[in-house]
Amino acid sequence: MSFTITQRPDFALVTVQLQSGQTYHSEPGAMATMSPNIELKASLKGGLMSSLSRGLGGESLIISSYTAQGGEGEITFAAGQPGDAVHYALDGSTDIYLQRGAYLANSEGVEISSKWQGMRGFFSGEGLILLKASGNGDLFFNSYGAIIELDVEDEVFVDTGFIVAFESTLNYNVTTLPGARPGTNWKSLFLGGEGLVCRFSGRGKVWIQTRQIATYLNWVHPYRPVQKNNG
Amino acid sequence: MQYEILAKPASSVVKVQLNAGDHLTCEVGAMVAMSTRMTVETTTQKKGSSGGGIMKGLKRLFAGESLFINHFTAREDGQYIILGPTMMGDVIHHRLDNATLIVQGGSWLASDPDITIDASWQGLGKAFFSGEGAFWVKCSGTGDMFMNSFGAIYAVEVDGDYIVDTGHIVAFEDTLNFKVQKAGASWMSSILGGEGLVCRFEGKGIVYCQSHNPSSFGSALGPSLKPRQS
Repeated sequence: MSFTITQRPDFALVTVQLQSGQTYHSEPGAMATMSPNIELKASLKGGLMSSLSRGLGGESLIISSYTAQGGEGEITFAAGQPGDAVHYALDGSTDIYLQRGAYLANSEGVEISSKWQGMRGFFSGEGLILLKASGNGDLFFNSYGAIIELDVEDEVFVDTGFIVAFESTLNYNVTTLPGARPGTNWKSLFLGGEGLVCRFSGRGKVWIQTRQIATYLNWVHPYRPVQKNNG
Repeated sequence: MQYEILAKPASSVVKVQLNAGDHLTCEVGAMVAMSTRMTVETTTQKKGSSGGGIMKGLKRLFAGESLFINHFTAREDGQYIILGPTMMGDVIHHRLDNATLIVQGGSWLASDPDITIDASWQGLGKAFFSGEGAFWVKCSGTGDMFMNSFGAIYAVEVDGDYIVDTGHIVAFEDTLNFKVQKAGASWMSSILGGEGLVCRFEGKGIVYCQSHNPSSFGSALGPSLKPRQS
């Protein structure tokens, strides 16, 4: 399997070379171009339960599959929003957790499912409901804005809205910033805007994005026309 | 201050290194990621005038009249913080040396706490900038500061006269004289030409400009969006 990622970090495009008979999977709509001998199939991959589980993770229930027929083929993938893309080779030892919307594509041998976060997910306005990628194979994930890889050797705080993905070797919990804890400085918690962060500890990688769609939408909001009520 | 600007020029963020006791003052909401041996404290700055307590600050939060500022302090050596703006665009560093820079409100990202931040500066006249949340931050003193832009950012070294559309100003040195005026010879051509009001700078100093005007972009998107209730 050979691939390239070009036009990083603002307009990342993933190009994958498929051998004859080889299959790749992606979120629906991610395919930009492909060779004519590649056959597209949309399916509820892994059955209904597995699909519903992906749906809980904020991704489409449908998975698109692309198979090269009678020869080699090439396919390119790009996310809906401008931004970056990262490749990760899963080798069965470490799983990857993906934030809502970060899944782009995967090779055969990779299983995508959702991970129930329990209550801790609900404290975050971003909905820390994660997808889990496991198995053996290639995984591609994407962002809005650039992706920066952080090597955690101790601990780090990441604003929940900027998490793209992280390795399962890390411990994580949603918390408040130091100084922003209730009882010490309530102002920071309520007014600080950065009240909720994810604390990653242990050893592993976290990928963060440099922009956030939610804050951009807040910026656009005042420019929307105002609804006129007739009577 | 040790820093690095990453993912230039459209998705830029700044990574600032802090040692024990180092402080950084930032726009609230700008923190993307940071080390854990740090404390944060939030204060407010009233836009358009000075002063104000907690309750007044709360009231203004909903009125959008306050600038909320986070003060980060490193408790140990080797800490870092990554800061990013909302819009697609660049981040630049500017060093103040016993000087004053006037920064368009949405462009101020962070500064050394030795720099005095005054969000009540109204030297350009509030009435001329009708865009929501339009305000200016007056940064005075000595230290490092960071600003962000919508699109690319470029510095113009003014020596004499120079005209900048008000929506394209990121910041300017207060060594410059300035006045707001119509863009063309007549009001008719100013408005039909789509420029409206411009700022005329005179003297010697730097003006930082952004390639794109955020409110023009907002106005271009607006008509295609679903109406809001209020």
